[in-house]
Amino acid sequence: MTLTAWFALLITLGLAAWTVGALRRRSARHEAGRRFFRHPTAAWGIGVLAFFVIVAVAAPWVTSFDPREQLDIIQLKSQPPSWSNVLGTDVYSRDLWSRIAFGARISLSVGALGMLVAITLGTLVGAVAGYYRRWVDAVLMRGVDVGLALPRIFVLLIAIALFGQLPLAVLVLVIGLTSWFGTSRLVRAEVLSVRERDYVAAARAAGAGGARVIFRHVLPNAAAPIIVSAALSIGNVLLLEAALSFLGIGVRPPAPSWGNVIADGAPYLATAPWTTLFPGLAIALVVMALNAVGDALRDALDPRQQAKEST
Amino acid sequence: MLSAMLRPRRLVVVVAALGLVGAATACQRSAGCTGAYCGTLVFAAVGEPDILLPPSTQQVAARDIEEQLFLKLADIGLTTNTIGDEDFQPLLAERWEWDGPLTLVFHLDARARWQDGQPVTASDVAFTFDAYTDSAVASPYRANLRRVASVKARDPQTAVFRFRERYPEMFYDAVYHMRVLPAHLLRGVPRDQWKTAPFGRQPVGDGPYRFVAWRAGQTIELVADSTFFLGRPAIRRLIWRFSPDLQVAATQVAADQADGREALYTPENIARVRAAPQLTLYPYRGNAYGYLGFNLAANGDTTQPHPIFGDREVRRALTMAVDRARLIKSVFGDFAKVPPGPMSQLWWIWDPEVRQLPYDTVQARRLLAARGWRDSDGDGIRDRAGERLAFHILVPSTSQTRKQYAQLLQEQFRAVGAQVEIDEVEQSVQSERAAAGKFDAILQAWNNDPSPSSGVPQVWSHAGFRGSNFLRYDSPVFDTLVSRATRAASSKQARPLWRAAVETINADAPAIFLFAPDNVAVFHSRVVDVRLRPDSWAALLRTWRIPPDRLIDRDRVER
Amino acid sequence: MTAWLVRRVAASVAIVFAVVTLTFFLLAAAPGEPLLGPDERQVDPHVRAELIRQWGLDEAPPVRYVRYLRQLARGNLGLSFSLHRPVADALAEAIPNTLLLAGAALLIDFLIGLGLGIYQALRVHRLPDVVLGNVTLFLYSVPTFWLGLILLLVFGAWLRWFPVGGMSDPILCPSVSSVYCTLDRLWHLVLPALTLGLVGAAGTARFQRAAMLEVAGQDYIRTARAKGASERRVLLRHQLRNALLSFITLFGLAFPFLLTGAVLIETIFAWPGMGRLATDAILRRDAPLVNAAVLLASVLVVAGNLLADVLVAAADPRIRVRDTT
Repeated sequence: MTLTAWFALLITLGLAAWTVGALRRRSARHEAGRRFFRHPTAAWGIGVLAFFVIVAVAAPWVTSFDPREQLDIIQLKSQPPSWSNVLGTDVYSRDLWSRIAFGARISLSVGALGMLVAITLGTLVGAVAGYYRRWVDAVLMRGVDVGLALPRIFVLLIAIALFGQLPLAVLVLVIGLTSWFGTSRLVRAEVLSVRERDYVAAARAAGAGGARVIFRHVLPNAAAPIIVSAALSIGNVLLLEAALSFLGIGVRPPAPSWGNVIADGAPYLATAPWTTLFPGLAIALVVMALNAVGDALRDALDPRQQAKEST
Repeated sequence: MLSAMLRPRRLVVVVAALGLVGAATACQRSAGCTGAYCGTLVFAAVGEPDILLPPSTQQVAARDIEEQLFLKLADIGLTTNTIGDEDFQPLLAERWEWDGPLTLVFHLDARARWQDGQPVTASDVAFTFDAYTDSAVASPYRANLRRVASVKARDPQTAVFRFRERYPEMFYDAVYHMRVLPAHLLRGVPRDQWKTAPFGRQPVGDGPYRFVAWRAGQTIELVADSTFFLGRPAIRRLIWRFSPDLQVAATQVAADQADGREALYTPENIARVRAAPQLTLYPYRGNAYGYLGFNLAANGDTTQPHPIFGDREVRRALTMAVDRARLIKSVFGDFAKVPPGPMSQLWWIWDPEVRQLPYDTVQARRLLAARGWRDSDGDGIRDRAGERLAFHILVPSTSQTRKQYAQLLQEQFRAVGAQVEIDEVEQSVQSERAAAGKFDAILQAWNNDPSPSSGVPQVWSHAGFRGSNFLRYDSPVFDTLVSRATRAASSKQARPLWRAAVETINADAPAIFLFAPDNVAVFHSRVVDVRLRPDSWAALLRTWRIPPDRLIDRDRVER
Repeated sequence: MTAWLVRRVAASVAIVFAVVTLTFFLLAAAPGEPLLGPDERQVDPHVRAELIRQWGLDEAPPVRYVRYLRQLARGNLGLSFSLHRPVADALAEAIPNTLLLAGAALLIDFLIGLGLGIYQALRVHRLPDVVLGNVTLFLYSVPTFWLGLILLLVFGAWLRWFPVGGMSDPILCPSVSSVYCTLDRLWHLVLPALTLGLVGAAGTARFQRAAMLEVAGQDYIRTARAKGASERRVLLRHQLRNALLSFITLFGLAFPFLLTGAVLIETIFAWPGMGRLATDAILRRDAPLVNAAVLLASVLVVAGNLLADVLVAAADPRIRVRDTT
C-alpha cells in the first residue's frame, strides 16, 4: 500500500478516536449520555462504527488500488498478505483491502437503508395496531404472525427469484420488507402502554385526530425501544446481506459488498483463507459494535431508570 | 443441580467414560477381509443422482453408478474412436456381424444374468430400444437413436438392429447410448410413471456390481458381483458419498475421508491434493469445452439481428480482444487447452493447426473503430450513433469456472472499450433465458459424448434452433460441411471436411471458444491398475485392484 | 381457556393457509423453468415439451392451485420434479436429520448459554465476566455460515479432529447399529451443531446474565438474604425457574431461526436436512417440494408458537387475561 494510503488510514483512526471523545464530551451534559458511556463497550463500539464509516466515505484515499482492478491474473492471484497488498489478493488478483474498504460503502448503505425500511414499516404497523386496537389490531397482528411464520430465507429466495437479477434498491427493499415484523410487535406493546397515559387522553379530549396523536404524543414516548431496535437491526441486515450473497443472490459482481467478497473467497478457503477471513471479521466487528451501542442505548434510554431519576 | 453436574471434574469423568466405551466397541470389530478381492473405495461426488434409471437421467453421478450396474452391448475402447467397430470391446454381446448394409446382428453372451437370476435375452434389448424411443419415457437419449429403425429379437440370444441409412458411426449409435434394461421387471410399469417407479431407486442390473443401498442425501453403496461373467471385480465395495459443494468433496479427499474423485477442476484443489502423501493424480483428456457465445439475434426478439453481435466484424474484433491462453493459465493453471474450435479434447477432430483468430488487441481496436464504434464522449466506452458498446454476460451461479471467466472477460473487454455487466443467475433461470434467447452473451459449457456427430449439429447448426443452438448461428456453408463430414465413409475422408467446417465457424466467430479442460482425477495411492477412459472415468472400475499387502482399515470391513 | 385456545388454533390454521398460498403463487410467478437436467448436457426440445406436459406446467397457475389444494385435502403432497419420488418420502427422510441438528443446537444453546450467563452474573464486572462478555458478543455478531466455514477448515481439514461434512461414516455406520455408530453420529454432529448452537448460546448468555442481574436487585432476594439463605442458592433457584420459562419461549421461537440458519450450515457441512432440500428445490424450481417444505416449516413454526404460548399461559394465569385480542 502506498505511503499516502497509510497516512490516510492513520488519519482515519485518529478521526474515529476524536469522534468518540467529542461524543463523550457532548453527551456528558445529559444523564442519558453519561449512562451510555458508563457501559464498558459503548465507547469502543462508537469508535469502530466511526472508523468503518470514515473508511467507507474516504475509501479512494485509504486504499491504493481500484477494487475492480485485476492486477495480474497469473502472478498476483490469491496472494497472502504482503507489503503491497496488506490483506492479500483474491482469486481475480484484486486487492482485498480495497474490496473491503469499498465494500463498506455498499454493505453499510444496505444495512442502514434496509433498517430504515424495516423500522419505518414496523413502527407504522405497530403504532396503528396498538393505538386503534380491536379489529385493526387483530388483522394487523395476524398479518405479522404470517410474516413471522414464513421461513425467511425461503421467502427471500423466492421473492428474489421473481426479479431474476436484483438491482440494489430492490434488494434493500426486499430485505426491509421481511425484517419489520419483530419491530412492529415491540412498538405495539409500547404504544399499548403509552396510550393509557393522561396526556394522550387529554390530547384526544381536545379533539386531536388519531394520526396527530400517534405522531406527536405516543411515538415520541415510545421512541426508546424503536431506537434500540434500529441499532440492532442494522446488524441483522448486514448478516442477511452476507448470507444472500453467499447463496449467490445478493449484490451483483464486480461491485464489492462484504457478503460477496466472502462468497468469492469461500471456494478457496483451504488454500487462500484470508479472502474469507478478513471480510468476515469486518462484518463481525461492525455487528459487534452495533450490538454494543444498542445495549448501551437500551440502558441509557431505559424509561424505568428515567422514571427513577425524575422522582 | 445443573451447576452441580457442570462442575469440571465430574464432566471430565463422564467424557472419559464415554471415550472408553467407544474405544472398547471399536476394538470388537472382526479381523476382516483379506486377499485379492477386498477393498472399499469411497468416491467424493458432487451432486446426488436424481434417479438410477439409464434412459431417464443425464446426471453425472447417476451415469457413473449406472456404468457399474447396467451393461451396454459393447464398450468403446480407450482411444474413444467412434468410427467403425474395430475398437469396441464385447460386453453383453460376445460377437456381432453385418447382415447387409443396414442390418447389424448381435449375439449375446449366454452367461449374462440379471441379478435376480434371470438370463439376459435379446427381448430385453428390443424392449430397451422401445423404451428409449418412447415419447412417454421422454428420454434425453432418444434423439441419438433416430437413425436406428428397429431392434428385434430373432431368438433369445440374437438381437437384430436395422438402420435407416448407412453412415460411419452406425455401430457406435447401436451400442453406446443404450444400457440394456430388464424387460421382465419393467414391462409392467406404465411408461409415463417410469421416473417415479421404485426401480429407479432400487435398480436391478446385470453389471459387475450390485446395488446395495441408497441413503438419500448421503451415500449410494454398491457391492461386487462375484459371479460376474466377465470376471469378478477385485474391489469389493464402492461407495459414492455426496456433497453439495466441490470444496467439501476435495477436503474430504485431502483429509483421507474419501478415496478420490474424478475431477478436481481448480489448480488450488490440485495443489492441495498433490501435497497429500497418500494420493496420486491422474490427468486425462476432458470431455468438455466452454465458450462465450454471442446472441446473433436480438435479446428477446429472435426476428431481429442483435444490434452489436449481428455484425460479423464486431464479433471477430471482440474475439481478438481476448487472450485465451492467459485466461486458461489463470483459471486452470496447466490443466486445460485452448480449443481450436467448438470441440473438447476427447474428439478425434481436435487439431491445433486449424485456422483461428489470433489474440491481437491492436487489430481488435482498429476493427471496432472501422465498424463505427468509437469513444466519442471520452468515458472509455465506445459508442455508435448514441448506442454504447455495452452488453450483459449471462452466467450460472453454479459454475465456479464460468463465474471466474465472466469477471476476467469483463476486464479484457473493458481494455478495448466495451462495457460488460455480469448477470449471475440461477441455473434454472439460465436454461430458460438461453432457450428463449433472452440474453446478449452467454458463458456456456458442454459435456460431450465421444462423437462430434451429435454434439456439433445440435449446438451449431440450423437443426439445433429449437434445441441447443441458443445463439441462432445459421451458416448453410457450415451446415453442409458438417452433414457431409458426419456421412463420410471413413475418418480420412471426414477429416478435411471437419477441418473446413471448424475454420468456417472460427471465421464467423459466433462464439469465443475459451477452454477445453483436462480432467485431473485423484485416487488413493494403494489402488493399482487405475485406467480412466476419458468419456466415462468409471467404465473400467471393475479392473482396478488393491494388492493384498496394501489393504487398509476400511478395505478389511466385512459387511 | 378453551375459547382462547380454539381461537388461537383457528388463527394458526388460517396463517398456515395464507403462507402456503403466498408461496405457491410466488413460485409460479418466478422466472426460470424446472431443471430438466445438468446444465452442461443438451436437452432435446421434445423431451422438454413432454416433461412439461407430464408435470402439468402447461396449465395456468390458478388451475394448478386448485388441483394442488384438492391433492392436499386428500393428504397427497405430490411428486417432486427433481427427485422423481413422492415429496412425502423425501421430506420424511430429511426432517429427522434437521430435527437432530436443531435439537442438538438448541441443547448447546440452552446449556452453554445458561451456564455462561449464570457464571458471568456471579462474577459480574470481574475479569471472567469481561472476557466472556466480549467472547459472547463476538459469537453473537459473526455470520453463522462464516463461523461454520472457519470451524470446518480448522477442526476438520487442518486438525482433523472432526469429520469433514456428512452425517455418518459411510463405510462402517450407514445405520445406527451399535454404540460405536451412535458415537460416530455424535462425532459428525459436533461441528454443525456447535456452529448453530454457539451463536444462539451467546445470545442466551447475554440475556440470562442481564436477567439474573436484574433479579439480584429485587426485594424478595434481599429478604431471603436477610433471612440468612445462601445468596448463590437463592439466585440459582429463582433464575433456573425463570430460565426454564424463557427456554420454552425460546423453543417455540427458535425453530424458524434454526430452519433458516440450518440452510447454510447444512450446505457447508453436507448435512442431508430439510433446509438444504428446500433450498435446492427452490433453485431447481421444483414446485411440489418447495410448497410442501414451506407448508411443513410454517406448521412447525406456528405449532411451536402455539405450544410456547400454551405452556407459558398454563404457568402464568396473568398472561391469559392480558391477551385481549
